[in-house]
This record gives sequence, C-alpha cells and structure tokens, in this order.
Amino acid sequence: MALGFAIGVFGVLILFHAAYSTIQYRGLLKITEEEFSGPPFNVVIELSLGLVLCMWAALTVPGKFLSIHPDSEENRIVSLPANLDFMIFNHRGKVFPVEMDLKLKQ
Amino acid sequence: MVHSESGSEEKKSSNAVNDLLTFNAENMQNNMKIIYYSRTFLSIIGGVVAGILGFTGLKGFVFYLLLMAVTSVGLVAKAKFSTQTYFDSWNRVLLDGFLGGLMSFVLFWTFAYDIVHIF
Repeated sequence: MALGFAIGVFGVLILFHAAYSTIQYRGLLKITEEEFSGPPFNVVIELSLGLVLCMWAALTVPGKFLSIHPDSEENRIVSLPANLDFMIFNHRGKVFPVEMDLKLKQ
Repeated sequence: MVHSESGSEEKKSSNAVNDLLTFNAENMQNNMKIIYYSRTFLSIIGGVVAGILGFTGLKGFVFYLLLMAVTSVGLVAKAKFSTQTYFDSWNRVLLDGFLGGLMSFVLFWTFAYDIVHIF
C-alpha cells in the first residue's frame, strides 16, 4: 500500500521533471527560432515511464476488489447453530432458488 | 446461535444482464469506488501528459480514449478476468467514470498545455 503510493508520487515527480525539461526546450527553440513539433526523445521516454508508474499505482493503491457473491467463503453471514433451541426454520430463505447448496461450517 | 447481518444484503430483481438474485451491496460499492478513484487519477495524469506532449484537438481525445481502454484492461486484469465475482454487469467495469474522467482530463490538459507551451 505504501509502496504503491510511493511509486505514484515518484511517477508524478518524473512527470514534473519532464514538464520542466520541455519548458527549457521551448526556451531553446525560441532562441533558435524554430517550430515546436514535439518534445525531445528523452522527454517522451520519461513521460512514458511516468505514465506506466502512475498507471501501476492507480491500479494497486485504491484497494482490493471484494467478492459480491453472498455464498463465497469470506462473505459468510450465518453460522449454523448447534443448539436446538435457536434453530429457525420459518425464515425468508424459501424465496431463494433451490439450487443454492449451503456449506455446513462446523 | 444464528447471526445475521442487517443492512449489507440486498435483493435485486434479475434482469437480462446478470443472474444474481442477491449480492453483497457493500462490497459492490467498494468495488465501484475503487474503479472511480483509479479512472479519475489516470485521467488527471493523462491530461498532464497530453499537455506536455503538445497535443491539440482530436489527437488529445484519441489519447484519452486509448488511456481509458488501457485502464479498462488493467481493471479487468485486477479483477482476475472474472468480473462476475466482483460486479454484476460488464458495463460497470468498462464505462463507469468515463465522462467524469473526460472532464478532469480536459481540465488538466489545458492546464498543462498553458504552463508548458504558452507561459
């Protein structure tokens, strides 16, 4: 988590450095009175590197995806009772489709 | 003892796209939030890159489309290619946050272009 954040910050710093290089390059072009057709090659490389780092950070920093199935292992919301006094049979489970097979958790 | 969580389960009627009758809405919201953050951040970064590269007009929007396509592929890869487990329909993964990201992209694109090329 902190590593992803650090990589993101590093990517943004690379982008700022590329921006500064491009500003200096434009100043140079103004002196020699040439047209700006594109930033120099190493700035393009720098921008691609910064973009790749930021993309990696954007995909890993916000957190993991959580499963939305109600019957997956980490989403268990009921534990079957062992005591006969607390077993409930008249609940709303009867409106669910029949093919869901419940797993018994001992 | 029977435990039951209240408020985190929700019944959704089935439509043509999904076949889940109920799903855990809290986790669904968490997943949507992750997609939104990722897309917004990458739109901003893409805007800065497009401004530095000096894109004007249509090239910039094509760059944005490419960036969003790569982001969608990355998000699907993050979901381990089984979007059924984490979302209820394909459209959410691919299209959510697209227009909001476009606004941020254009904003930072013009911002970066002004800073680098005009001043």
